[in-house]
Amino acid sequence: MIALVRELYNFRELVAALAWRNITVRYKQAYLGIAWAIIRPLSLMLIFTLVKSIVGIDSGSIPYPILTFAALMPWIFFQDSASEGTGSVVTNASLVRKIYFPREVFPLTTMASKLIELAINFGILGLLMAWYGMMPTIHALWVPVILLYTVLVALGVALVGAAINVYYRDIGAALPVALSMLMYASPVIYPLQLVRDKLLVEQAAGEWSRLLYVIYTINPLAGIIDGFQNALLRGLPPDLMSMLPGMIATLLLLPLSYRFFKRAEAYFADVI
Amino acid sequence: MAIIEVDHVSKEFRLGTITSLKDSVLNGLRRIRGQPATQRARFKALDDVDFTIEQGEVVGVIGHNGAGKSTLLKLLANISKPTAGRLAVRGKVAPLIEVGAGLVPELTGRENVFLNATILGIPKRVIRDKFDEIVAFAELEEFIDTPIKRYSSGMKVRLGFSIATSIDAEILVIDEVLAVGDLAFQRKCFDRMEDLIKGHGRTVLFVSHNIRQVERLCSRVILLERGKVAADGPALETAELFYRRSNEKVQDYHSGAMGAKKNVTSSGEIEVLEIDVLDAGHHATDTIPSGGELRVRVRLRVNQPLGRPEIVVGTHTTDFFYLSASSTATLEDRPDLDVGVHEIEYIVPSYPLVAGVYCIRLAVFDQYRRKVFAGEALKMFTVASSAIELREAPLRRLDLPTHWRIAGRLYTGTSAPEVCAGALS
Repeated sequence: MIALVRELYNFRELVAALAWRNITVRYKQAYLGIAWAIIRPLSLMLIFTLVKSIVGIDSGSIPYPILTFAALMPWIFFQDSASEGTGSVVTNASLVRKIYFPREVFPLTTMASKLIELAINFGILGLLMAWYGMMPTIHALWVPVILLYTVLVALGVALVGAAINVYYRDIGAALPVALSMLMYASPVIYPLQLVRDKLLVEQAAGEWSRLLYVIYTINPLAGIIDGFQNALLRGLPPDLMSMLPGMIATLLLLPLSYRFFKRAEAYFADVI
Repeated sequence: MAIIEVDHVSKEFRLGTITSLKDSVLNGLRRIRGQPATQRARFKALDDVDFTIEQGEVVGVIGHNGAGKSTLLKLLANISKPTAGRLAVRGKVAPLIEVGAGLVPELTGRENVFLNATILGIPKRVIRDKFDEIVAFAELEEFIDTPIKRYSSGMKVRLGFSIATSIDAEILVIDEVLAVGDLAFQRKCFDRMEDLIKGHGRTVLFVSHNIRQVERLCSRVILLERGKVAADGPALETAELFYRRSNEKVQDYHSGAMGAKKNVTSSGEIEVLEIDVLDAGHHATDTIPSGGELRVRVRLRVNQPLGRPEIVVGTHTTDFFYLSASSTATLEDRPDLDVGVHEIEYIVPSYPLVAGVYCIRLAVFDQYRRKVFAGEALKMFTVASSAIELREAPLRRLDLPTHWRIAGRLYTGTSAPEVCAGALS
């Protein structure tokens, strides 16, 4: 892990340059340019709001549109980072074959460019908060920590995914499917509070309720999304209880994922 | 301590494609039934390659296509890892292997200079200093703010080369494919590469098919053959060996596949029975000394009498560059050829070409200049190196008799071998 950080520092110029390339190339010949980065969460927010008005989702004290937008921000960041990070080595095949630098630069680059798109969405969130008359509290300082944690989670997926994808492209095709299913298993459309109420308060699954809740929160995104909403909208610190299972899973899996990537890396140029 | 150590390195590739689910299932079934599973054949791109390079050495790597040159470069550039053996490179390597890898079509020339340089590991401030120079070298001042997808292919490679060679490192690994663009720009590329190689006491590994250039630039040359080091030594010796092997290969090819399909057109009036190169004792031979006599004997059978035919005999290189030709058309009273077998000799008292493999062509016309027979590559022969060429690079194609006048005194020279003999005594 320390090696990863040192590498990131050594190759910061490269990561920055490649991330900038990703962003410019994506939006260069588009009339709307980088505005596309906000169109996706905004349109999803509108759809979810529409759905909510039919099925009725209790969003507590927070207006539903802003709650779901604050959920979509970390979710879309994670989803794009993980799936594009998985494809990142193969996408850069010509570089892999010709020039050496540590290959984790590619997934890291994806994270960096996705962070830039995320930053733009913070502007929209700010406008929404102003619209609903919400003020950020001191707990907003948790946001960078939560985002760093999200990057680590996405890296855990992207590193192992990218390595396998070099050998078998199946993973690149399978991951988006898996991730879109995971979205429904994460508190994006509904707030985590609903799950908490169902399982911890109502004990809906009887004696299994507690265990089910832990399993639900092994998905790090559950804790991340809830923590993000807490820190920015509810003026509360992140709920450690619902973050812990996901954190343990990440701490266990990320080093494995990194080691797997470094092992496979030696033969990328031969098989890509 | 050696700056590059290649210690019994091998690199294997598996042939064919990566196993798919179907193959895995089939192989699994075979294993269950106790049958041997199919294994993909292996190919050794490098086989027990072993050498070291000291600081400041300029080493050339030559070999035929597929000899393992590029694989070796990739290993040294850390792009790929050896299957067996150990590889140590002590110092920063600048691999100039590919021009324009990582150029992004959507970005402008200016943006690409910065991006590409960063990818190559050149720090930003260095690029800022060198930017104007890079653009000027690529001759792209006007177009630098245009997306490079609008560039011509020549403009792209020029930009790529210009960026790649602005790199600064202790060890340069250079692939010859770097020389790009039109003739004038290639000249510039070569000059730039020579500057890179010769100055600053860098360690250089230089891969090229341009053997003459390797000879000129490198002090030491490694010859790779089918993944093995076939020779490793002073530039000239290794290059000579390579020439010899190449020529053998060309000759094999001609006597094999090409033998049956010579470039011949014939009206059937004459048949060429035999073409021989003769040595001083008038025996058939394959090799003549450089600057020595070339005597070609053609035996042909005439099926219909030809009045005053014109006969042309000439030589050309293996890639059909015509070198010499003489015609009997200028002879005052050339004879008629009756039905039967005739022998014709073409004699060049001093064949002035340097060592190499050359071919003979023959054409016969009747007196109205109607083509009766024409053939290329009918016979190959080798011109052996003269003594002087064994000692220093033959930076010439022709080996002509020479006279000198130095300080008023006339030295009636001869062809090179004898000059050399004179110098020795």
